Amino acid sequence: MGKGRHLAGTCRIKVLLIDFFVVLSIVTVFSCLATLPSRAEARNVVVGVYENAPKVFTTKSGKPDGIFIDIIEHIAEIEGWNLRYVSGTWGEGLDRLAKGEIDLMPDMAYSGNRRMHFSFHKVPVLSSWSQVYAPKGSGIHSVVDLNGKRIAVLERSVQQYAFVRLVDSFGMKTTLISVPDYQTMFKVVAKGEADAAITNRFYGLMHAKKAGLEDTSIIFEPSDLFFAATKGDPKHLLDTIDRRLSDQKKDSQSVYYQSLKRWASEEVHFKLPTWLHILGYSLGAVLLMSLLGSILLKQQVTMRTRELKLINREMEQRIAERTLELTTANNKLKELDQLKSMFIASMSHELRTPLNSIIGFTGMTLQGLSGELNDEQKDSLARVYKSAKHLLALITDVIDISKIEAGRVETFPGKVSLKEIVEEAAASVEPQIKEKGLAIELHIRPDVELTTDRKRLLQCLLNFLSNAVKFTESGKISVMSTESDGYVTITVQDTGIGISEKNLPKLFEAFERLESHLRVKAGGTGLGLYLTKKLATDILHGTVSVQSREGEGSAFSLRVPLDREHSHAIPEKEKGAEA
Amino acid sequence: MKTALIIEDNEDNMRLITLLLEKSAYLTLQAFTGMQGYEMALRNKPDFIILDIQLPDMEGTEVLRKIRASEIENRIPVIAMTSYAMSGDRERLLAAGCDGYIEKPIDPERVITQIRGVIGDQT
Repeated sequence: MGKGRHLAGTCRIKVLLIDFFVVLSIVTVFSCLATLPSRAEARNVVVGVYENAPKVFTTKSGKPDGIFIDIIEHIAEIEGWNLRYVSGTWGEGLDRLAKGEIDLMPDMAYSGNRRMHFSFHKVPVLSSWSQVYAPKGSGIHSVVDLNGKRIAVLERSVQQYAFVRLVDSFGMKTTLISVPDYQTMFKVVAKGEADAAITNRFYGLMHAKKAGLEDTSIIFEPSDLFFAATKGDPKHLLDTIDRRLSDQKKDSQSVYYQSLKRWASEEVHFKLPTWLHILGYSLGAVLLMSLLGSILLKQQVTMRTRELKLINREMEQRIAERTLELTTANNKLKELDQLKSMFIASMSHELRTPLNSIIGFTGMTLQGLSGELNDEQKDSLARVYKSAKHLLALITDVIDISKIEAGRVETFPGKVSLKEIVEEAAASVEPQIKEKGLAIELHIRPDVELTTDRKRLLQCLLNFLSNAVKFTESGKISVMSTESDGYVTITVQDTGIGISEKNLPKLFEAFERLESHLRVKAGGTGLGLYLTKKLATDILHGTVSVQSREGEGSAFSLRVPLDREHSHAIPEKEKGAEA
Repeated sequence: MKTALIIEDNEDNMRLITLLLEKSAYLTLQAFTGMQGYEMALRNKPDFIILDIQLPDMEGTEVLRKIRASEIENRIPVIAMTSYAMSGDRERLLAAGCDGYIEKPIDPERVITQIRGVIGDQT
């Protein structure tokens, strides 16, 4: 109808234009005046409206709206119909249509019964179905759940008849509550006056959520919806509607589809509050920024990772190079160390041969075997003899240590009587003991036998004994033994000067000559205890230890396995703890 | 008077042991190689032998083995002499057939006593 007024306006403007384009305008004015009255006269169409959003309903401002309205207004615009609306309930609409008070009633499902009273066009406007809606958590899922329930239905609606048929076919009893419109229906259910509601899918889609209801899977009565006209379609509206509908359904951009899109999608009907929009946009912005940030960060991380990988690779390469260098250097050092030990061992051997001559001949001469010596000659030769022997002892110790350190010591284990070997060692120092006026006591069980390297064991005992004699001026030297756990411990105890606590830890180190007034007088190589420890641990698989108090004497102990060949069970810590 | 055969390649040592033995009233024969010592032992039949075990031409133990292999009637006492007593030398030498064992450097005070102990000479 708006369109019609608009066309008239256009004509009037054109009339004004006549003044300027006289010849042309006459034709135009005629054509305008000819068409306008004939259309307006022919089509005054009265359409019924009831509340069944989104298919058809009245807006708050009192204007009819919905899918059917969109479509009929579009058709009216093209066809030049003047539309007028008459609102009422569904039932009232049906009555008015039957009486011819209105020309068209929208949203009418086709049924045989209705065909008797109304006329329908052929192309359906919508396809719908009826669906049961129930409050959330109602437990109504299938048709049988409806037994004994109160169901709200639209009075005189297709759903009502179809639902009754459905319930009857299942042999169930339900109480039907007829309501005039869908709004009332949902309110009734919300208040608890009914257990479920039946609506078409369009209304449910739009309103159920808001009313706190949810759709059940009970769907029935699929139906096609039409405009219905008064029986016989006196104004010949139905053919036009069919023609226009067919056209519209062919074009996906048509008013028909736009209307469907506008009304039949759920989200459309939720109007978001402004603050939510702002929040949404802010969140979006934040999200975008964080996304950009994360991309940037990721890029940086990738870059740094690449750098780090490069650095890492370089480091690894350098480490590998260094390791190789160090390994080579280490191997060289090991070789050198062995060479050193070998050199010392062989050099020492060469040194011994001339020393043997010096010691031998001076010794013989001192004996007076080459004729009597005067006191001065005797004293001088005695000094040569003593120094030569000291030198020999040093060389012998150095040879031993070098060999042990080079791992070139052969061992010769054999049966050794403990008593015999202790007696042999004691016999060696007897001259010095007698000279100093000391006493010696041996407390060794006669039946103990060891399997070990005899010479090395003797060497250790001799070292302990000669030390004891050297540092003891009066009193006695005792040698005793104890056995336990497959080991024998031989202790050489003296009543000598003892060792200060400060000096004890250094005792078994090489060239640690302790400060003492006896030092010069005592002589010695400074290697004795170091060698003894090496022999005891490396060769005899035992340990050495010392207990001493300054001024009260010392007790040196040697702990060796009874059987050297089966002593591999020595705990390592024991080795380290002592000595 | 008993005769000693000294098999020793080192001249100083040879002179020292010879002097010590002569001062103690023994006759001495001198051999400077293993082969020479072996031949003299067979030819001269000494009362005892002082044998250095490090000789230029052969091991002292090899000389000892040859002497022991050729003895028919009398077993000659052999006293081994080593420059530096390696661990196990004593056992090895005694096992090879030595009767005694002395270490270098020779101790002039003790060596004659040691020798007499081995050969059972009480004089």
